[in-house]
Amino acid sequence: MNQWQRVHPASPFVHGWLAIVGLLWVYWQNTDELSWADRFSGSRLTWTVAIGSAALLLVLIFYALSWYFTRYKISETHVYVNSGMIFRSQKQARIDKVQGIDIAQPLVARLLGLAELRFDVADGSASVMRLSFLRKAHAHQLRTEILALAQGEVAAPSEDVEQPPAAEPVPLMAKVPAGRLLASLLLRVPTIIGLLGALSVGIVSITGNGAFVAGLLPILLGFGGWFYKELNNSWNFSASATDTGLRISHGLADTKQQSLPAGRVQSIQVSSPAFWRLLGWYRVEVNALGVGDEEFSNLLVLPVGDFNAVTQVMGILLPDLSAENQREVLLTAITTGTTHGFINSPVRAKTLSPGAWKHQAFLATQNCVITRFGWLSRSAAFVPHNRIQGMGWQQGPWERRHDLAGVRLYSAGGTIIGYLHQLDASVASEFFAVQAKRQVER
Amino acid sequence: MKTPMESLPNNFTAVDPDYFKVKLVNWSIQSSCYLLVALLPLILRLFGLPAPWWLVIVPPVLVIGIALLVLRILRRQVRALGYQERTEDLVVRSGVLWRKQLVIPYGRMQYVEVTSGPVERRYGLCKLTLNTAAGAATAVIPGLRAETGEELRERLVAAGEANQL
Repeated sequence: MNQWQRVHPASPFVHGWLAIVGLLWVYWQNTDELSWADRFSGSRLTWTVAIGSAALLLVLIFYALSWYFTRYKISETHVYVNSGMIFRSQKQARIDKVQGIDIAQPLVARLLGLAELRFDVADGSASVMRLSFLRKAHAHQLRTEILALAQGEVAAPSEDVEQPPAAEPVPLMAKVPAGRLLASLLLRVPTIIGLLGALSVGIVSITGNGAFVAGLLPILLGFGGWFYKELNNSWNFSASATDTGLRISHGLADTKQQSLPAGRVQSIQVSSPAFWRLLGWYRVEVNALGVGDEEFSNLLVLPVGDFNAVTQVMGILLPDLSAENQREVLLTAITTGTTHGFINSPVRAKTLSPGAWKHQAFLATQNCVITRFGWLSRSAAFVPHNRIQGMGWQQGPWERRHDLAGVRLYSAGGTIIGYLHQLDASVASEFFAVQAKRQVER
Repeated sequence: MKTPMESLPNNFTAVDPDYFKVKLVNWSIQSSCYLLVALLPLILRLFGLPAPWWLVIVPPVLVIGIALLVLRILRRQVRALGYQERTEDLVVRSGVLWRKQLVIPYGRMQYVEVTSGPVERRYGLCKLTLNTAAGAATAVIPGLRAETGEELRERLVAAGEANQL
């Protein structure tokens, strides 16, 4: 504490292991036609060893310099991270502005037992400050210390780094077993299309049409990539409640722990892809500010879960729906029906959305708007009034012919939109006028 | 009040009618670009390369047809543009076939931008863009007189500071 420290010596390797792989690849490319005996005999051996060790030395020097110039310091008030030898970068974060610290472990870091700290700082800067890499136990310990400092306590100086991170007594809200996750992924439409595609490619390649197979292969790889991304993101998923919100940890190759303060949640979407509806499974995503890697992606807070898991997670993220029998309202919101005051599209909408019109509905409560949309795959969005950044009323030519109109509610931090689809035009107008007043109330 | 649109013309401020000229210039540039692409088969044929007759005729006819349709509603598009400064929010409406209204509370504004391209500048016009934290909730009011745009920006910024949510 309070003095400059260096990160783990293996950090540059974790950042730059691709360079070594690249070197090996270049070597392989250039000696493709040689046999192993040729490679390691005579003058060629000398050259290979000489150039190889020179390249390795260069990389190692680079790593060493990079490591030497990366330092961090934690004072009572700030966290400093300096890095770079030619382009020096000095970053700092005020500890009292630190709102959360995520611990991330990319694959290579995980193999070496290292972890990265990602500071979520509420000072308006867009970029996330990263401190990488530390030993995992050390990272956990630092996280606890800094969070304690952020809450105005003075951290007890603890010398013993080897000590495993103190298990935080947090109630577990939801956990996704591997079997259910795999089942849920297999029931997703992209997986089914991908599998059917693979099957047809298999059949065609047996009958011998190479060109066709070659054309389909990239598409199949795309589906495979999607599947892996989902799996990697949702594997071993667990969400627990903390004082301020949710703490989620997940990952197959790259593991991640993120804290999501409930105050950062802008809107919530509970969706049920087509085949999940048969099993009563849902997935929950949120628009959140300053959490997650990308600005334009939603944060997954429950990859798959039944209604009970949804109520638990919702109870943390949006504890008050301002409805009397909250549980039933939630159930109506994410399934179907117009009980509890939900208003759906009129029968006129049947010609425009033959499947979905019955299920499109909305409910405005004291503190949020709940909208439901979709036909086979159904979603419900929950947007609190005070999180709405802007609201759009729209009407296309066919909607105008049927005297229908829609309203969209935009919030920050992701792609979730509160979508009131094909309402009776006068209902939409009335909602639009009333909602405009509601969302500026303080 | 039946739909918001019908009650509008009275209390919305329309954009400058000169904006039609800007739209017209943009329309002619765009249409000629598309037409040039659509005429490619004809040019190929003139150079002696094989191009089927239907490919020579159909695309230019389509492009010209669509361009004329767009031209027909261009004036209405300009007339449909309008904004309204209310006590706590700004309303922007647009569109003829796909009608839209966007409400942005002043307290949600992040920054206001006034820009003007070469064509707009020629007619003394500018475009005002109002950004919030949500990318989709961005209000754009084109076709304002340069001084109107400046004044509106000043008022919006002041209102934004007064209405911090």
